[in-house]
Amino acid sequence: MRELASVWFLTWEIGSTGNGSEAYNLDANGEFVEQDVTQIQWSTDQLSSQLRRRGQLFVFDVRAREEFERFPLEGPGVTAINFPYFEMLESGCQDDMVDSVVACVERNFAEQLPKSSPVLAICAKGGTSEFVAQGLVRLGYEARTLQGGMQAWGNHYDTRTIVDSPGLSIFQISRPARGCLSYMIVSDGEAVVVDPLRHLHPYLELVRARALKISAVIDTHSHADHISGGRALAQETGSYYHLHPYDAIHPMDMVPASFSYEPLRNGKVLNFGKQGLLVLHTPGHTLGLVALLLDDQYLFSGDSIFIRSIARPDLGGQAEAWAPLHTQSLRKLLDLPERTTVLPGHFSTLEEADGEGAFRATLGELKRSNESLARLQRSMDAEFVQYLMESLPKLIPEYVEIKRVNTGLVLPAEDDAATLELGKNVCGLAQAVAHGETG
Amino acid sequence: MSTAFDKVFDARGMNCPMPLVNARKEIGKLDLGQVLKVMATDRGSVADFQGWVKVAKNVELVAQETETTDGRNVYVHYVKRTA
Repeated sequence: MRELASVWFLTWEIGSTGNGSEAYNLDANGEFVEQDVTQIQWSTDQLSSQLRRRGQLFVFDVRAREEFERFPLEGPGVTAINFPYFEMLESGCQDDMVDSVVACVERNFAEQLPKSSPVLAICAKGGTSEFVAQGLVRLGYEARTLQGGMQAWGNHYDTRTIVDSPGLSIFQISRPARGCLSYMIVSDGEAVVVDPLRHLHPYLELVRARALKISAVIDTHSHADHISGGRALAQETGSYYHLHPYDAIHPMDMVPASFSYEPLRNGKVLNFGKQGLLVLHTPGHTLGLVALLLDDQYLFSGDSIFIRSIARPDLGGQAEAWAPLHTQSLRKLLDLPERTTVLPGHFSTLEEADGEGAFRATLGELKRSNESLARLQRSMDAEFVQYLMESLPKLIPEYVEIKRVNTGLVLPAEDDAATLELGKNVCGLAQAVAHGETG
Repeated sequence: MSTAFDKVFDARGMNCPMPLVNARKEIGKLDLGQVLKVMATDRGSVADFQGWVKVAKNVELVAQETETTDGRNVYVHYVKRTA
């Protein structure tokens, strides 16, 4: 405990402008003076670093209960308590928000929120949590507030280096709150971007910093869980958007895409710099899903193989027809050399990251550690298809609409796009995810 | 069909938690049975007012509406003081 606490205090130092250790100040009359809020704010970068360190983190989430249930803050070491701020106003019975927090926390949370542990207050956009953190500080807690709230965390991006050598660099760009992964592959000043996410700044920053030219933007498939940044990035950088033709049709509406694209097909090689990306058609999660093999060494698996799970075959509404295809595609991928590094399209929990915060594993490791892949190796096709059909998680209603957006059939306003994407992806199988969380 | 109200509280431009914190104070100034019309631009206020009336003992949410003016949404909450 002592060690954890000291790690935490070091953490607070990052970006703090002054005297962060003092819990509160009194003025000349002995009245409380609320702290300058910039001194108790945590940026999403600081939250991301904290989650990577896997230290203990108490979260006091004051959003409405439904919002908390749909999109909780998750990560190693996180213990979250949800108590909506409006319930705090009633429970505290004070007109002032900070006074209510003080009264309510003293009455209801003295035991659940030990003063020996620091507390991060969070809300939807970072406004209410400032009042909550002020109240907690007044009670003697080491409290902070998440700047921009869960909205900012949902839109937070991290960039990790997978490899950075003169002939080849690979960057993994993630949205940790959503479990979405994308890649920028660079050779000789030319870059290919795989599965770019909705906000373009992480890619454009790399392009600027390294003076790159993007030669191709690829979506491994038409995504259901998030809005692709693919077409926008291709347009912004004057490059071409690549997609398999089977995924340029909405699978439920049976309406073709409104945009033009470069068609991907099995066996095609996309050359850039001194490298070539080999396209492998791996239908199952979608009909047009492709995996990309680089240098016989790196496999960008899209939504087929994940670290602890595999993709679900039902998001196109055709699970019975697609599950056998999925099985065949997975077998094809398992035939690649065991030393191949798998770079997936999603993760389920931050615990899947390696020591450097990257989400990757060799195919050999996954054949042993990934429960679904282990099952595939010991099952006949029919048996595995049955397992897939029995492991389908709940369908997310928004996913049908997100696919419409990605097929260019609908153009949502920013507010609506953010609402559609809220929460963590559910692109993997249910049982495999559950197994991952407990194992 | 428009909802009847006795007083308007304009919370447009206010960020969470202020629309609810201040509306709660305004309700206290109403007579029993009177209705406060709260206008807010914070989208989160919709779920928050729904959650709040479930725990507050002196109010009832009569209606909620979304009005769009100049491409901007205004979320309107009609809250009645019941005790």
